[in-house]
Amino acid sequence: MNEFLTAFKEMFAFENVKWDAVLEATYETIYMTVIATALAFLIGLILGIILFLSNKSHNGVSKPVYGATSFIVNLFRAIPFIILIILIMPFTKAIMGTVMGSNGALPALIIGAAPFFARLVEIGLKEIDKGVIEAAESMGANTWTIIWKVLIPESLPALISGITVTSIMLVGSTAIAGVIGAGGLGNLAYMVGFTRNQPDVTLVATVVILIIVFIIQIIGDTLSKAVDKR
Amino acid sequence: MIDISNVTKIFKTKNQNITAVDNVGLNVKKGEIFGVIGYSGAGKSTLIRLLNGLEQPTEGTVTVTGDEISGMTMKELRQKRQKVSMIFQHFNLLWSRTVAENISFPLEIAGVPKKERQLRVSELIRLVGLEGRENNYPSELSGGQKQRVGIARALSNEPQVLLCDEATSALDPETTDEVLDLLVDITKKMNLTIVLITHEMHVIRKICDRAAVMENGKVVEVGPVIELFQNPQSNVTKRFVKDDISDDDHAVAMEEIKEAFPTSTIVKLTFVGTRTKSPIVSQVIRNYGLDVNILSGNIKQTNQESYGHLYIALDINQETLEQITAEFKKHDVTLEVESK
Repeated sequence: MNEFLTAFKEMFAFENVKWDAVLEATYETIYMTVIATALAFLIGLILGIILFLSNKSHNGVSKPVYGATSFIVNLFRAIPFIILIILIMPFTKAIMGTVMGSNGALPALIIGAAPFFARLVEIGLKEIDKGVIEAAESMGANTWTIIWKVLIPESLPALISGITVTSIMLVGSTAIAGVIGAGGLGNLAYMVGFTRNQPDVTLVATVVILIIVFIIQIIGDTLSKAVDKR
Repeated sequence: MIDISNVTKIFKTKNQNITAVDNVGLNVKKGEIFGVIGYSGAGKSTLIRLLNGLEQPTEGTVTVTGDEISGMTMKELRQKRQKVSMIFQHFNLLWSRTVAENISFPLEIAGVPKKERQLRVSELIRLVGLEGRENNYPSELSGGQKQRVGIARALSNEPQVLLCDEATSALDPETTDEVLDLLVDITKKMNLTIVLITHEMHVIRKICDRAAVMENGKVVEVGPVIELFQNPQSNVTKRFVKDDISDDDHAVAMEEIKEAFPTSTIVKLTFVGTRTKSPIVSQVIRNYGLDVNILSGNIKQTNQESYGHLYIALDINQETLEQITAEFKKHDVTLEVESK
């Protein structure tokens, strides 16, 4: 019991916490999350739209397109993130020049998150009233117009909640990436908090991550509500 | 104007082929309001979608204002659809757009410049009577108002043909009549041709010039609306007409009426496409100095003519009865004696 109390006291003493290191790690985590969210949004949106459109029409081209896209999406979603980082290291090295640091983590973060978001996009698009799409077709809209002026605006609340969930997942992924050298709060918690046995550092890293997650959730909820005119 | 000839549409599913439209031939004239009535599953939804190429026929040809819809490329078809617009049962407005933005949508598709779009939108809002609602979202409107937006949106590119897909089926009777009045009004103003599908006979009666009755993918009867009402040939048509007039009440009540008026002659006047606007019944009554008890009646107006029944009880001798029978006949009203 005493051992526990000592550990507890030590945890809340914050003696080992170097606040400038926390600040830097926070910056790295936010950097990775923001860039990865933005790119996962873009790639996931495109993949999601391809999935939706190729599943909707039943011509000779769309079936293999749906099959291939769906396979790729499922494949990358099935690979555990920690393995994905290691697996694509040669690719990361080739395009980023390094596998270390925040930039070294980005390809894996994006490849891990985009297929997940793509499925959320597909689900969001399926929720759109078929009649509204038919109405746009009956006005002579082409596919491009339907994507821009019907599919995206009419599924926007779902897209926003989808990217919110994805972004929060990405915060978690940056922490995992941190363990193998990507920097950020996960790195801080592991390298300093765990290996040097400084639990107060781990606690601070945790609290900061929680704050980031809450902020993302609040922004997401507010935006999603604001655009929803249903 | 619109020519559907020998059109068949078969939907192929894994297990079976479903013939939604079965060798249908129809002709719609310019400026006409043409109705297609049938119960659900009769194939009318598919039929109307053949007219703007949302469905392509398996066999046969569909020609609209001189262009063969069934033989067009996608690009030509999209162009064509700007002139053959459509309104829907569930309105199908974009919830993410305001009333004005919804109406503007087809204009954006057609590439109309912004200034012109705004002008056109405010014109259309006036036309359908939605002034002051421009910046509301569809969720803030009633069903009738939503359909008005749908109509304004469909009219924005000044179409030649308006397709109405059960456009009033989701509305209450009063709102239905308002929307139908609006449709008649714009048909005249904009020189439109309307094809509408419905399962409600009173929609056909109220605004259509001619109508086709569909069952199991086939057109079983087609003709001027009044003829369908006067002289329905097929069982489906008879059912629709009967539902609309709902004559059943009279039969039940007749026994009681006879008891209540034991000394009177009870006659049934039948109006079949009576075009005259003059008050025939009251003229005849006055001319012969008769006293009349009106027992029950069910007279409906189509867009041109009236039809229905009127039951009256009167004290009358045989001679006068024959005279007034002849008198009524001159005005296309038949007189039958129900009891003496």
